[in-house]
Amino acid sequence: MKISYNWLQNYFEEELPEIEKISEGIIFHSFEVESIEKAGNDTVFDIKVLPDRAHDCLSHWGIAKEISAIFNLKIKEKKYKIFEPKPTKLEIKIEDNRCLRYMGRVVKNVKVGESPKWLKEKLNAIGQKSINNIIDAANFIMFDLGQPIHCFDLDKLESQKIIIRNSTTGESIDLLGSEKIGNLVKTRSILLKSNDLIIADEKNPLAIAGIKGGTKAEVDSNTKNIVIEVANFNSIAIRKTSKQFNIFTEAVKRYENEISPELCEKTMNAITDLIWELNEVEVEEIIDIYPTKAEQKEVSVSVDYINKHLGTSFLKEEIEGVWKRLNFEFSKSVNEFKIKVPYLRIDISGPHDLVEEVGRILGYEKISPQIPKINFKPKINETFYKILWARNKLLNDGYSEIMTYAFCNTGEVEVLSSASDKKFLRTNLSDGLKESLKLNQLNAPLLEMEQIKIFEIGTVFLKDKEEMHVAYGDKKGVKEMNLENFFHKNSSSEEHGYFSAEKFLVLAPSRSQVSSEENSYSRNFKPWSIYPFITRDVAVWVPKGESSEELKKLLKNNATELLVREPYIFDSFTKDGKTSYAFRLIFQSYEKTLTDDEVNIIMTKISHKIRENSRWELR
Amino acid sequence: MDKEIKKGKEHPLSIVINEAVKIFTDLGFEVATGPELEDVWHNFDALNVPKDHPARDMQDTFFIKNRPEYVLRTHTSNTQIHFMEKFAKEGKKPPFAIVVPGKVFRNESTDAGHEMQFYQLEGLMIGKDINVANMKWVLLEFFKRFLGENTEIRLRPSFFPFVEPGFEVDVKYDGKWMELLGAGMVHPNVLKNCGIDFEKYQGFAFGFGLDRLARIKFNISDIRFFYQGDLRLNQF
Repeated sequence: MKISYNWLQNYFEEELPEIEKISEGIIFHSFEVESIEKAGNDTVFDIKVLPDRAHDCLSHWGIAKEISAIFNLKIKEKKYKIFEPKPTKLEIKIEDNRCLRYMGRVVKNVKVGESPKWLKEKLNAIGQKSINNIIDAANFIMFDLGQPIHCFDLDKLESQKIIIRNSTTGESIDLLGSEKIGNLVKTRSILLKSNDLIIADEKNPLAIAGIKGGTKAEVDSNTKNIVIEVANFNSIAIRKTSKQFNIFTEAVKRYENEISPELCEKTMNAITDLIWELNEVEVEEIIDIYPTKAEQKEVSVSVDYINKHLGTSFLKEEIEGVWKRLNFEFSKSVNEFKIKVPYLRIDISGPHDLVEEVGRILGYEKISPQIPKINFKPKINETFYKILWARNKLLNDGYSEIMTYAFCNTGEVEVLSSASDKKFLRTNLSDGLKESLKLNQLNAPLLEMEQIKIFEIGTVFLKDKEEMHVAYGDKKGVKEMNLENFFHKNSSSEEHGYFSAEKFLVLAPSRSQVSSEENSYSRNFKPWSIYPFITRDVAVWVPKGESSEELKKLLKNNATELLVREPYIFDSFTKDGKTSYAFRLIFQSYEKTLTDDEVNIIMTKISHKIRENSRWELR
Repeated sequence: MDKEIKKGKEHPLSIVINEAVKIFTDLGFEVATGPELEDVWHNFDALNVPKDHPARDMQDTFFIKNRPEYVLRTHTSNTQIHFMEKFAKEGKKPPFAIVVPGKVFRNESTDAGHEMQFYQLEGLMIGKDINVANMKWVLLEFFKRFLGENTEIRLRPSFFPFVEPGFEVDVKYDGKWMELLGAGMVHPNVLKNCGIDFEKYQGFAFGFGLDRLARIKFNISDIRFFYQGDLRLNQF
């Protein structure tokens, strides 16, 4: 969520720490800060609020409370005006239990117009467009407190009655705002199903509850009187409906994560205040339908419990300080705290949740690493060590290991939907191994191998079971069997008989156990070129007894950076007092497909160099 | 002629898996394995993932056709559940410590950093008083042995339904902090779901991507190299 630094500052008398400090504080005590950006004379943090804190932190107030706890800064709580509201004729009826609370209030004599500069600035800073003062006020309070608000034009309703009910099949609603379809800008009309929660007047739907308003009671420049809705809906219902219609609004984001119905009251006061400030309006009484009041949870936790889980020795006073910084109400006995969990902290339900609060507020860096004081007696996992054994066996027999995809075009088990076009799970490893053989056969000149021999160990999926298989092969053919059979077929009777923990470990050493130079592979991977390579052979007569080293060096020095592997001898013989060495050179570019001409130029140069040596003779 | 066979070349992921497992077994962990095609109880429910959690959406998880209660496991955490269920059923009492190397699946489009299949390593240590400080020791020790003595780690708050408190663990390697693991104290509901007395026993769990670790160790730019069956990958 985008959070404005100046907006946060309004919550504190004291000047906030500088931007970097705030960011660091949030990162190590609360949430990730994904970016920090300048916006005019303001700075905006993009904060990735964790899913379990989306209940209370998708708002400037929520983040301000975090900052208050992290930096131990006192938050100034706002005081709202006391109105003398006029009696109201507004009626509200909840007909569906997915609406947990509905507060409505009529405000008369509003003057819809442009928003004041400060309001526009605040909304712009967090990337929101200004629409008009009423809508802007509602948006501002939502981003401030985390509670969505909706305003209806009272005079566009059939009567002063609002009903929260299930939609009926065939009902439809034209949504607020417009969307672009190709070059057309259109109002989106939604055909409701039989189970969508809506806000309606006595005749038509006015809004899809908690998701988006409709055009029927839209607030426009002629609006005089409005109804302010501050409500709470079941989070799962909101998520389902929003997904079904593919509408993801800021309101949805908050409702689908579940917010406390207790937040409605503060929000109604705040929005009334702000609208009154914008233009002195006539405020009517609030109608508040709240069928089941939320209960305030109480959670007990002891100092011991917290230290036992964190591995710390925090003092009772330090822990008490955390509750104070978080503004938790609590009572204490000798060694235990009883916390009255704030309504908005839906995430806290047990002592383990309080362990987290203490840990993160005091700082995880305060926890020093401690070796576990347990002498574990691990057992050997048969499957894992049989895999290890099979791998070592095949490596020793000269096979190289590959891994291929579990997905393919046909099989016995199918996945429902996939980001790729391959929807089946493999029933064997052989098909993949054969493909790999083909590929590697083509690349054989690039690989420093005499013969392509490969294997894979992996899971295959049959109709009713999955099985660990081993497949291995070369150009002559491929063999495949399950791991168990491979083990029985290939292990000696001794290995069989002594399949005991220690013994087996010795028989199936891992690489780091066998390798004498343990870190021999701590070097960088060399990516390969996607362009084709070109092969050239060069054969030279040298006097009998002369080694091929000097010739190899000459080839290496003159073959340019396009040479992708060491020149290697593929043929040599001696005849009439002369030895012939035939070298193979492989050329490949990382940037383009090489042409024969380009390679020919290099080969011509090499030929010249060879001829310069009078003892040598090009064949 | 000398008929000695030249040894084949191991897949880089196997090198990394074996080395990681070796370090953890040296630290007292034992290896556990579990199925790749899994029921939703072991992959989600028992791990305290709520029924309507976004991770359970079709976009992220491969569901199996005609078997609505089955998925390709999205993490190796399923094996925690199998291990603890069996452990409790056999009447055994903690402590125990396991690591689970294995293949997992995510239904997402692929790029240099993402694959539909990849390898994870999961760790779980449960005892009477196994705590966050122990977790810090184990992870620091692992990364020091795996990446080098001057490796550092740090914890940040995070959230996973199966742990509380939950952490993001950053590892400092080559002068750079990298977000490498998710971890946390096992949520009491998870222990309860497996029949382990959560008032008596506690501990931590962690998980990280082995492909990611292999890419860091060998400086491999693209995760997709791993599953092409191309032997040019086997350079080590």
